[in-house]
Order: sequence, then structure tokens, then C-alpha cells
Amino acid sequence: MTQFNFGKWFGTRAISILVALIFCFLLDKFMQGADKSYGRFLMSLAGIYVTLAVSLNLINGITGQFSIGHAAFYQIGAYTGAVLAANKFSALAASKPLLWLLLSALFGAIAAGLAGLVVGIPSLRLKGDYLAVVTLGIGEIVTIIAKNQKSLGEAYGLSTAKIESIFLISLLAITCIAVCRNLLKSAHGLAFLAVREDEVASAAMGVNLTRIKVTAFVIGSAFAGAAGALYAHTKAFVSPPDFSMDVSFLILTMVVLGGTGSITGTTIAAVVLFLIPEKMRDLPYVQMGTPLGVAIGIIVAVVLLRKIQESFHGAGSVRLARNIGSVGSGAVVAFIMAKLLVMVPAFQGQINGALFRMPVLAITLVVLMLLRPQGIFGHHEFSWSWVQKLLGKKAPETEVAV
Amino acid sequence: MSLLKLDQATIKFGGLVAVNSVSFELEKGDLFGLIGPNGAGKTTCFNIITGVYAPTSGKINFDGRDITGTPSNRIAQQGICRTFQNIRLFHSLSSLENVVVGGFLRHKTVLGSALCYLPSAIKETDELKTKALELLELVDLADVANTRSRDLPYGKQRRLEIARALATQPKLLLLDEPAAGMNPQEKMELLQMVKKIRDVLGVTVLLIEHDMKFVMNLCERILVLDHGEEIAQGPPAEIRSNPKVIAAYLGEAV
Repeated sequence: MTQFNFGKWFGTRAISILVALIFCFLLDKFMQGADKSYGRFLMSLAGIYVTLAVSLNLINGITGQFSIGHAAFYQIGAYTGAVLAANKFSALAASKPLLWLLLSALFGAIAAGLAGLVVGIPSLRLKGDYLAVVTLGIGEIVTIIAKNQKSLGEAYGLSTAKIESIFLISLLAITCIAVCRNLLKSAHGLAFLAVREDEVASAAMGVNLTRIKVTAFVIGSAFAGAAGALYAHTKAFVSPPDFSMDVSFLILTMVVLGGTGSITGTTIAAVVLFLIPEKMRDLPYVQMGTPLGVAIGIIVAVVLLRKIQESFHGAGSVRLARNIGSVGSGAVVAFIMAKLLVMVPAFQGQINGALFRMPVLAITLVVLMLLRPQGIFGHHEFSWSWVQKLLGKKAPETEVAV
Repeated sequence: MSLLKLDQATIKFGGLVAVNSVSFELEKGDLFGLIGPNGAGKTTCFNIITGVYAPTSGKINFDGRDITGTPSNRIAQQGICRTFQNIRLFHSLSSLENVVVGGFLRHKTVLGSALCYLPSAIKETDELKTKALELLELVDLADVANTRSRDLPYGKQRRLEIARALATQPKLLLLDEPAAGMNPQEKMELLQMVKKIRDVLGVTVLLIEHDMKFVMNLCERILVLDHGEEIAQGPPAEIRSNPKVIAAYLGEAV
């Protein structure tokens, strides 16, 4: 049992916060300049998606409440920010854009948090599928309201002040990650996990189910709302399709793919899942045989990997070698098949590579669910002791010991 | 005054009367057994006491307070905690974390301090972990403190459930078939442990068990239920020779 040491605690906190601030500042500085505007936009959106995914992970992964309407709270935050900046606070938004952006995020968080509270109290009495259906409905309701309200720009949308700040976006993402991580390190966090594991048992242990579920819902929604407000100003325009069901599902996919409950996994999955389709916009035209060949290669690799998972129980290094072998043979098959298929006249037509953006996302999902249903990270988290173990050093006892 | 008092507790599910006006009293420090054939309403009785179900009629009094219809978590806070017949641990948490959740209901820090990782929350978490480790030592599970509870063998899972329930600092502990699936050696150890819980920690114990030898050796008073109704109540020797009890278990002579 290590004694609590205030000096050490204060030191680590101060350094962590300072490092986070410097990181965000440098990122912001690095992405300045007119030539980087597309990169800046991508990075902003990636940061926003990290916030959205990690905040949904608090609801879905950590507390185990299956919500598939996260875009609703994102939308509420975005419209709050946009409407306020276009009307009441237009002067402030013009004179002190950064201060307004911060306030806007705060307003967005408050509005979405309140909405989360109102929605959460009645609907969190439901479980599993029922809760999923209700949250799905809420997502639709919010979009439909925005589509039909004149003051919200109806289906066309609403333009607002353009304020870009990678600094605030990355800071929000880091804050969201930090809050979730802090929660999991405390006894409070264990109560959240207990609700996910077994509701009857947690209630019998004196855990107030409603309170924990609603709290998770409100915090998660508030972060989504803040992300929404930042999104509105990054794009300077909000419209209902930006918050459709697809967005809710994309966020949910990030959580599931990263490993339900794992903050690390969710963060990585958010960045990857957002960037893959974006980057694939630039793909050139290819002959039809090529993607077909690649698809066959993937199938071969997956079948081989599955086979190893099912029937091989030997040493870790042998398993790794076999896995690498499977992926390698998949790649070889892909290459040969692609070369062979393009010789067939039927497969020589040209096709836009960018069309494969969505299929690739779907294939990634299918492959991962086949090979690693618990998500990339499962329930695991990144930690320094894990890095040290990876580097071959012995982990310090303090991390593991009680 | 009695610690727990069931007064004509009845619960109906549609036409089925699962528990029919059952009354009994537990004194502080009792080791009380609840037995009966399958489907007699024993676990339902537990569910009424712990607030999983509200009784259709009748009153439940605990420690001078009426707890009829109080939600589960509030009942746990007032000092009744239970284990489950079909083990309900938090499977992906470690043994230690399971017990920490048990101790969480007496927490004093607010959620905000945990979210900001303030010293108060860290200290409290450390304290809860220390207490949890002590309880794990009591049930002889300290060596598996960091093992996921899903990976523990059956007997250890049952003991972990008891440790988790004790972490809530209950006045009354309800054990639902604690010896189920244990071998004779494990049963003996469990018997000693339950006695220790009563004698050392001063916790009143109410338990359901099918193993007659276990119940007769451990409990000082026994209540027998059949088809939701009380058919006998008294010390083990009396219960053993009660013709109604024998009939309920073995059937009547034709």
C-alpha cells in the first residue's frame, strides 16, 4: 500500500496539464497558414470525433448503457453555439473570437447536458434494446426539429461565425480523455463499471443505478455538446445532415471497434475511422480487377487467421510467425489475383478508387469483428508500465500493487 | 427488539402466491436458516427483504424502521446485504475491485473530485482498497486480489461474493445457497467462515441452504417453507423430527 504523497500528486498533475497545454499550443501553431487549411479542417474534425467517441464510450462502454443517438447531443451543442453566435453574441464572436469559442463550447455543453438530463431520467429506466430504440428515436427527433424550425434554418441550415482553433479542439479532446481516465482510477469509476457488469448486483451493493446512469449520460452528452459547438464554428455552418443517424452510427462504430470501455482503443479508432475514408478521397482510377484481387487476398488472409485462432494453441512466437505468414500469403494472393484478373477483358474497366471509401470501412469492421470481436484494445488501457513491459523492462510495482 | 421482522409478508405474481403471509423475527446475532424444497419461495423471500420485489401485502421491519417497498440500494445502505444463488459478481473486474464496489456505498467524496482526480478521491479509493484487502484476507482470497473474478474457480467466487457483501458493512447478511457446488472440505471451511463472520464481526446471518447437514450444524434456528407457506420454525433438533417437514421433503405416505 503506497501512501498518498501530496507533493508527488501535485507535481505529476502540474506537469501533465502543462504538457497538454504546450502540446495543444504547438499543434495549433504547426497547423497555421493558408496552405494548410484542408489539413487543419481534417485535424479539427478528427479531434471532434475523438471527443464524441470517448464521451460515448463513457455511456456505452463504461456504464454499459447502449445509446445510439449520440449525434443528437452533438447537434444540440452545435445549434446552440451557432444560434448564439449569429444573434446575441455576434459582437463578441467578432471582437474576441477565441473567448467566444470557449464560451460557445461551454453553452453547448450546458444545453446538451440539460437535454441529456431530460432525456436520461425517463429513458434510462429501460435496458438494452429498448434503450437503444429510444436513443435512436431521440436522434431522429432532434434532427427533425432542426429541419422544420425556421429559426434553425430548416433543411438548409444555419451559417455562423467561422472561428478555427485546433488549440481548443485538442484541449477538449484531451480533457474528455482525462476525465474518463480519472473516473476509472477512482472507486466512483468502479461503481460505473459495476452497473455495466450487473445491475441487480450493483443495486444490492447499494449503488444508485439511476443516479450513475443519468450522470454518465449527462457528462457524455455535455462533452458531445461542447464538441458540437466547436464543430459549428470550425465549419461556420450547420445543417441537419451533419448530425444524421449515420453520424451516430459512425461514433458507435468507433467505440465498438476500439474496444468497448477502452479509452485508448476508442481514441485510436476514432482517428483511424475518420481519416481512412477522408484519405481515400484522393485514390486514383484503377482497373476493376485490382480491387477484386485485393478482396480475394483479404478473404484468404482472414480465413487463415481464423483457422489459427481456432485450432492453434502452441507458443506465442510460433503463433505470431503463423499470423504473419497468413497475412503475407493473403498479400501474395491479392497481388497475383489482381495481376491475373486485369488480364480478363471483363475486369479491365476503369473505376474511381475513391468509391471504395465506404466499402473499406465496412470490410474493416467485418474483418475486425471476425478476428477480434472485443475490439482492438478489448478492455485494456494504455499505461506506462505496459510500455516498459513492451520495452523489456520490469514494470514498477506501484502501478500494479494496491 | 428484533433486528428484522417479517409481518405477514405476501407476494403474488398473477395467480401464483410465491410467498404467503410469512412471519418471522431475527434477533441481533442470530444464525438463522431458511430451508424448503425447490420452489418453496426462499429466494423470493430474500428478494422481498432486499427490495428486489415489493411485497403485495405485509410489512418488513428492519432495525426499527419500516423498509417495505424501499429500493434495493437504500436497503443496502441501511445495512442488509446479500449474496446470490446464481453468482452475480462483476465479472470483468478483479476480486479487489469487486470488494471495493461493495464498500463504495459509504463513500463521502463527490463525483466531481473523482473526475478531477483530487487528493480526497484518491485517498478514499486507497482506503477502500485497503479495507477490501483486509476482507479478502478474511475469506482467504488475498492471493487472487488482482485476478479477474470471472477467472476464479467456483468456490472462490462464492467466497468473493461474501467478501463483497461484507464490504457494505451490513448488520444483516443474507446468504443464498452459499455452499452450493462446494466439496465437503470447502463446505467445512465455509461453515467456519460464517461462524467467524457472526462471532467476530457481529453480523446477523440469514441463509438459504439445501445441504441439511450444513444447515443443521450451523444454524441455531430454522424456518421451513413449502409452497410459499411456513410449515415449521424452531431449533434444528425440532425441525429434524417435525412430521410436516419430513412430508414436505419426502412426500406423505399414501
